[in-house]
Amino acid sequence: MMRHLLKLVWNRKRTNALIILEIFFSFLVVFIVATLGIFFWDNYRQPLGYSWQNVWKISMDMKSEGGRHDDEAAKAARLKVVERMLGEVEALEPIESAAVAMVSPYDQGGWTSGENINGREIEMEANAATDRFAEVMGMELVSGRWFREEDSNLAYDPIVVDQDLAREMFGDEDAVGKQFGEPPPGEKPRRIVGVVSEFRKSGELSARTNFMFQRLRMDVPFWFEPRSILIKVRPGTPAAFEEELAKLLQGMAPEWSFQIKPLAQERTSVFNEMLAPLVAGGVVAFFLLLMVALGLFGVLWQNLLQRTRELGLRRATGASRSSVHWQVLSEQAILTTFGVLLGTILVIQIPVLDLIGFIRPEVFAGGLLFAMVAIYLLSTLCAFYPSSMASRVQPAEALRYE
Amino acid sequence: MIKNYLKVALKVLARRKFFTFISLFGISITLLVLMVMAAIFDHSLAPHSPETRSDETLGIYQLTMRGKENTQNSDPGYYFLDRYARSLAKLPGVERFSIVSTPQTAVSYLGGKKIESQMRRADGELWKIMEFEFLEGGPFTPEDESGARFVAVISETSRERFFGGQPALGRTIEADGQRFRVVGVVRDVPTLRFSSAADIWVPISTSKSKLYREQWMGGFNGLILASDEDHFPAIKAELDARLREAERNLPDPKTFQTLTAGADTLFEAHVRKVSPGNTEVIYPGRAKAVLFLLMLLFMLLPTLNLVNINLSRILDRASEIGVRKAFGASSRTLVGQFVVENLVLTLIGSLAGLVLAGLVLSALNASGFLPYARLALNYRVFLYGLAMAVFFGILSGVYPAWRMSKLHPVQALRGRSV
Repeated sequence: MMRHLLKLVWNRKRTNALIILEIFFSFLVVFIVATLGIFFWDNYRQPLGYSWQNVWKISMDMKSEGGRHDDEAAKAARLKVVERMLGEVEALEPIESAAVAMVSPYDQGGWTSGENINGREIEMEANAATDRFAEVMGMELVSGRWFREEDSNLAYDPIVVDQDLAREMFGDEDAVGKQFGEPPPGEKPRRIVGVVSEFRKSGELSARTNFMFQRLRMDVPFWFEPRSILIKVRPGTPAAFEEELAKLLQGMAPEWSFQIKPLAQERTSVFNEMLAPLVAGGVVAFFLLLMVALGLFGVLWQNLLQRTRELGLRRATGASRSSVHWQVLSEQAILTTFGVLLGTILVIQIPVLDLIGFIRPEVFAGGLLFAMVAIYLLSTLCAFYPSSMASRVQPAEALRYE
Repeated sequence: MIKNYLKVALKVLARRKFFTFISLFGISITLLVLMVMAAIFDHSLAPHSPETRSDETLGIYQLTMRGKENTQNSDPGYYFLDRYARSLAKLPGVERFSIVSTPQTAVSYLGGKKIESQMRRADGELWKIMEFEFLEGGPFTPEDESGARFVAVISETSRERFFGGQPALGRTIEADGQRFRVVGVVRDVPTLRFSSAADIWVPISTSKSKLYREQWMGGFNGLILASDEDHFPAIKAELDARLREAERNLPDPKTFQTLTAGADTLFEAHVRKVSPGNTEVIYPGRAKAVLFLLMLLFMLLPTLNLVNINLSRILDRASEIGVRKAFGASSRTLVGQFVVENLVLTLIGSLAGLVLAGLVLSALNASGFLPYARLALNYRVFLYGLAMAVFFGILSGVYPAWRMSKLHPVQALRGRSV
């Protein structure tokens, strides 16, 4: 039976090749949109590692970049101002705690680093943050502790890593107390003092990454100047407090510019920015598929009309209506299988050759499965009506048909 | 003859209305997407108010400092532009040179309400390079800049936010902790225009800190207006010469040794922005080729769809083809006829696409997704659409036409399948 069907398909190879090609490209379109959608949804389900609620971000523009005579003394002076601000801000009644970090959650930019651990190069995102950062962001410590004031006197530099990084470095062993890579030339060794559950800097829609924190000190200039202060405000703090805060800061540094924003707002813009291409792509893909569905429907109908005599002959020799119906549907399924097979062979290269590293193979598998189901459904649906029409043909009429 | 083809084409289309609808649906959706994209490109790159002379304007939007180990890349700083790029204005054919800052967020608090504006600091020359549409008052002048007067030009939307739409001339706004007197109100500039969009413009010299005068990197753009684009090569060459001179005076010669920047058209500037890693050399030609390939890639599925539909309709025409052939029509004549028919079909479809694109664009404008956008169909977008429709029509028409013309007259007259 199968052999016979294949032969029927082969007899009309030129027409069928083009239909297979169309199914192949439709499959790719569905696969791309579905994979992207599943990627975001999969990320959204993962733990974030911090809470953005009631956290405000104070962005500072110190107007100091790229100066001709920017020296260490000026840098240290600016850092002193930030340190004073941190103290003043924390003393305000509506503010629970305040911290400085090089990179804030939902920031556009970031800081990536690589570390050679036991001869293995491990990629990670990095950040430097002050002692109250874990408190401001409501981070969950899995083991060990966060940075504290006494750390300034340690013989080593403390490091906090997230679970992903701890697992990648030490497997199931407890990472706390372990040395963190080789010490940079001329600097203190680094040692892990705590493990946090997770930290996804770019927010809920981004993939999980390895993450490490260095301790940021306000009394020693870092190679990079802080650009923002994060504050945790008490629930129900009115927006009017923002103005009061802005006035206070402006008074402390008249030459700088400030911008205060709830992290919730930054989060919304990050979501919009990441979802906009998916929504636009999804709408376009939907209309493309609608077009393909209508097209396939028309093409199948036309083709069956041309085969009226052939199908009528089958009916005349005793084939039942449902068997003709099944024959046409199976032929269409064979065409679909060829298209889907071609598409699968192509897209399976992405996880196999590790072309896009940050998307997990499971997500690809989900996209593949979704695309397969969608395409089979689409093509069967398009074939159903024409084939049932064809099977209803009266043998006598069909044989007369010219 | 063509008239005859058209007549036949329309007759054929009217004969099987359902199939005609399927074809037209696909064509109009395809052209709709392409025309919306074309309108967005046109809105970002073609001359539009206030950048009415963007075709004669070059901008220095990026500066790269490179050393053996370090690379710093950002918009140029005021010191570099003032000291090394300003002399470009002396070249023959160069009309104006202006330094204007990149937009910075300026926060204002107005009776408990917070207003966030994009603020640019500019010299007095900006207003002579770009033609803003003034609703009230006028621009600030070079004297305002040299005298560091606290005056501001604001946009229509800013007037709405600060003064509830009431006349703003002579009134005061507070932004980023400074107070400015409004001297002009201009029509909103779409944020897609990255070199002109802002809500508030004030003189550079009113900056809170005077550090900007010493900065090589960060915060500013240089704009060069030429009398026509024939002068562009000379301007680019002179900028290169000035960069070599600047390299000898770099602030930190141990870390950085080379400087690169380009005097870019809007398209080149966009290409530079998306060029990964090495932004020093850009290939606008390749970028255009990539855009064309993307369009082809998008057209692939609709083309296959239309080809399949056309192929399946061959038999409809079998008797006609047989008669024409029997009376001596050559294959080439028939191919010509069928391609023309397909062109008629695509043109009708793209007309529908054009109407739909108009609706989608006005919905996009109303949604505020692209702030202050005034996306519209103009003659350029229409011409692009026409070119794409013709291209699409030929692409999807040639193969079915060829197959049709190959039909054997005897078989065709009998109505047998091919």
